[in-house]
Amino acid sequence: MRTLRVLLILMTLTVMTGALQAQDEIVIDFYFPSATANDSEGIFEAYAEQFQSENPGITINPVFSGSYTDTRTTVLTELQGGGAGPDVAVMLATDFYSFAEEGLIIPAQQFIDEMEDGEAFVADFFPALMMNSLDENGNIWSIPFQRSTPILYYNADMLAEAGYDAPPTNNAELIEMAQALTTDEVSGLLVPVAGGFPIWMYQSFAIAYGQNIVTDNPTEVLFNTPEAVEAAEFLTSLGTELGVGPVGGSAWGDTPTAFLAGQAAMIYHTTGNLTRILNDADFEVGVWYLPSGPAGEDGTGYGSPTGGGNLYIFDDGSKSPEELDAIWKWVTFLASAEVQSDWGATTGYIAARQSAWEIDPLASLVEEFPQYGIARDQLEFAQKEYTSYGAITIQGIINGTLESILTGEAEDAQAAMDEAQAQIDSILAEYQ
Amino acid sequence: MTAKPSTRKPFLTYILPYLLVAPTLIFVLMFNVIPAIQTVHDSFYKPAVGLNAADKPPTFVGTQNYADLFDSSHYMGSRFLDTLSNTIVFTLATVFIGVPLGLLLAMLLNRKLGFMGLWRFAVFYPSLLPLIGAASIWAFIFSDSIGLANAVLRSIGLPGLNWLGDPNLVLMSVIIVNIWKQSGYFMIFFLAGLQNISKDIYEASSLDGATDYQQFFYLTLPLLRRTILFVLVISFTFAFQTVEQLQALGEGGPADSANLLLYLIFQNISERRSWGYVNAMSIILVGMLLIFTVTNFVFFERQEDN
Repeated sequence: MRTLRVLLILMTLTVMTGALQAQDEIVIDFYFPSATANDSEGIFEAYAEQFQSENPGITINPVFSGSYTDTRTTVLTELQGGGAGPDVAVMLATDFYSFAEEGLIIPAQQFIDEMEDGEAFVADFFPALMMNSLDENGNIWSIPFQRSTPILYYNADMLAEAGYDAPPTNNAELIEMAQALTTDEVSGLLVPVAGGFPIWMYQSFAIAYGQNIVTDNPTEVLFNTPEAVEAAEFLTSLGTELGVGPVGGSAWGDTPTAFLAGQAAMIYHTTGNLTRILNDADFEVGVWYLPSGPAGEDGTGYGSPTGGGNLYIFDDGSKSPEELDAIWKWVTFLASAEVQSDWGATTGYIAARQSAWEIDPLASLVEEFPQYGIARDQLEFAQKEYTSYGAITIQGIINGTLESILTGEAEDAQAAMDEAQAQIDSILAEYQ
Repeated sequence: MTAKPSTRKPFLTYILPYLLVAPTLIFVLMFNVIPAIQTVHDSFYKPAVGLNAADKPPTFVGTQNYADLFDSSHYMGSRFLDTLSNTIVFTLATVFIGVPLGLLLAMLLNRKLGFMGLWRFAVFYPSLLPLIGAASIWAFIFSDSIGLANAVLRSIGLPGLNWLGDPNLVLMSVIIVNIWKQSGYFMIFFLAGLQNISKDIYEASSLDGATDYQQFFYLTLPLLRRTILFVLVISFTFAFQTVEQLQALGEGGPADSANLLLYLIFQNISERRSWGYVNAMSIILVGMLLIFTVTNFVFFERQEDN
C-alpha cells in the first residue's frame, strides 16, 4: 500500500513538472529539406543551439524532411490529416499557392508590419528573390532562405585549349563553343532536363527568349507564346541536330558528376552545387550567367529563373501570440545577414540578403572565389520561378509536355504546347 | 443457489469470442473498411479550389471523375490512360518473365553442385537489398554518360543507349530492374516447393521411361501448382504496387512513358484539386487487382477439379 502511495505521489509530481516545463518552454518544430549534398542537419543543429543560447525559453526542434517534394507531401499529409505539422518549414518558394489553398500558412507580412525597421528588412533582400514571396496584392507570405538559380559551369581548361578565353554570352556563341568542344568522350553542353523536372532549366530559355511563362497573376500561364515555343525548340535541338548532348537532356544527378569527370565541357546546374564542384574539380572551374537566348541589342542573351526554398510559417489560428513571437524570432534569425552569410558560404546557396555579402565569411569567400559573386550578379537577369494556382497539376502538365518534345515523342512543339495550354487554361478557369 | 453460476457462465462464453476478435475487428474497420468506403464515396466528388479551399465543401459530380480519366484529351485522363497501359505491360512482363525465370533458377539450383550456398545466395540477394537502394544502383548503371551499362556496350563497339531518357526504352529498363529484384525471391518459393516433391516419383517415372521433358510437364508443374498460384498472386500484386523503383529511376518519365498507376496516384495526392481523381484511380487499381487475383484462383481451382 505504501509503495503504491509513493508511486502515486511520484507520478503526480512528474506530470506537474512536465506541465510546468511545457508552460515555460516554447518548442518550435522546424522542417527542412535538402537538395544538395551538404550536411544540413549538422548546420541546423548548430544554428538551433546558437539561437537557443540567445533566446532562453525557446527550443528549436530541427527535422530533416527529405527532398522538397517529400517535405511538401509530408507537411500537407500531416496537416490535412489533423496532425500537428511543423511551425516553420523550408519549402519551395513556388509552393505558396498549394499551401494558401489549404489555409495552412499565415503571411509574413503581418509580422513585418509590426517591425520597427520592416521596410529596411524587406528592402535588403534581392528583389528577384522576393518575386515568389508575393501574392497578387503584394503581400509578403514567405521569407527567402536557401535560394538558388541555375548557372553555367564551364571547364576553363577545355575552353582555353579550344581557343576560347571567355564564356559564351548568347546562345549562338553557346552553340558554337559547345560544338567545338564536343568529342567522342566529351559532351559540349549538358542541360539537365531529363528526370522529371525540365521546367526549371526550360524557364531560363523562355526568359532569355523574351517572355517568362508566368506573370504576377496566379491564374495566368503563358506556355504557347512564340517565345515559349522557340525556347522549347532550341532546347530540343541541343540533343538532336546540334548534337552537343544526349537527346532528351542529361539526368539531374549525373550532370555535375560528368562535369567533374571531364566528360562535359559546360553544364547548366544549380548554384546549390557550387561548393561541391569547386571542391572536387581538378581543373579550373568557370562560372557564368546562362546565355540561353539570342543576342539582344548589347550582344548578350541572358535569362534565368530563381529557385530554391523559403521560410513558411504555419498557423491554423490556434497559436498564442507568444508562440508566434518565438516563431518570428527564429525566422528572422535564419534570415539575418549573419546566418545568411554563413549559410551561403557553407552551401553555395545565394545569400538572400544584400548585407550578407558585405560580412564574413561570405565577403572573404567571394574575394577568394569570385565564382560565388557571379550567381549573385546574375540575379539582375533573373525572373520569377513558375507557380500559379493548381501548381502541382499544371507543373505536371508542363513537365510532361516538355519531356515529350525534348525526347522527340512530340514532333510538333507548337501543337503539343497548344494542347497543354488548353488543359492549363481549363484548370485556371476554375480559379477566375 | 446452484442456478446462478450456470446462467452467468453461458453469457461469458457467448461474449468472450467477440471480445477476443474485437481488437482485430476494430483495426480492420478503422484502417481497411472505413477508408475503403470513404474512397468510393470521395471518388464521386470534386473538391473545392481557391484560397482556403479546405473550408469549402466538395461538389457531387457523379461519375464525372471516372469519365475524365477515360477521356484522352483531359489533363488527368491523358496521363491516366498512358499510365494504365504501362501498368498492364509492366505487370504482364514482370509476371510472365520473372516467374518462369524464378522457376528456372530454382530447378537449376535444386541439384547437386559445388558451392551451392553461394549460387543460391547470389540469386537471392537482390531481393534482400532495400528497394530504393537497389534502384539507385541501377539508376547509376543506366546513366547515359557515366553508367556501367553504356560503358559495357561502348567497349564492345556498340552505341550507348539512353536507358532512362528514351521514352521507348525506359519502361523496359524499369522492368529489367524489377525482374532482377524479384526472380530470386520467387526462386525461394519454387525451391521449397521442389524440395517437397518426393524423389521416388521421379525415379518411378524414369523406370517407366519418362523423358526430362515429360517429367517437367506431367510431374513437376502439376505438383508445384499451389506454389505457382501463390507466386503468381504475389507477383501480380507486387507489380501493381511498384512505386519505389520509379522514384529512383526517373520518376516515371520522360512524359509518363514509364509511369505506373500507384505512382501516378502518389504524384497527385498532395494537391487537393486532384483528390477526386486520386480516389477514382484507387478504385480502378483495386478493381484490376481483384480481377487478376480472382482469375488466377478460378483458373487454378478449375485445373484442380480436372
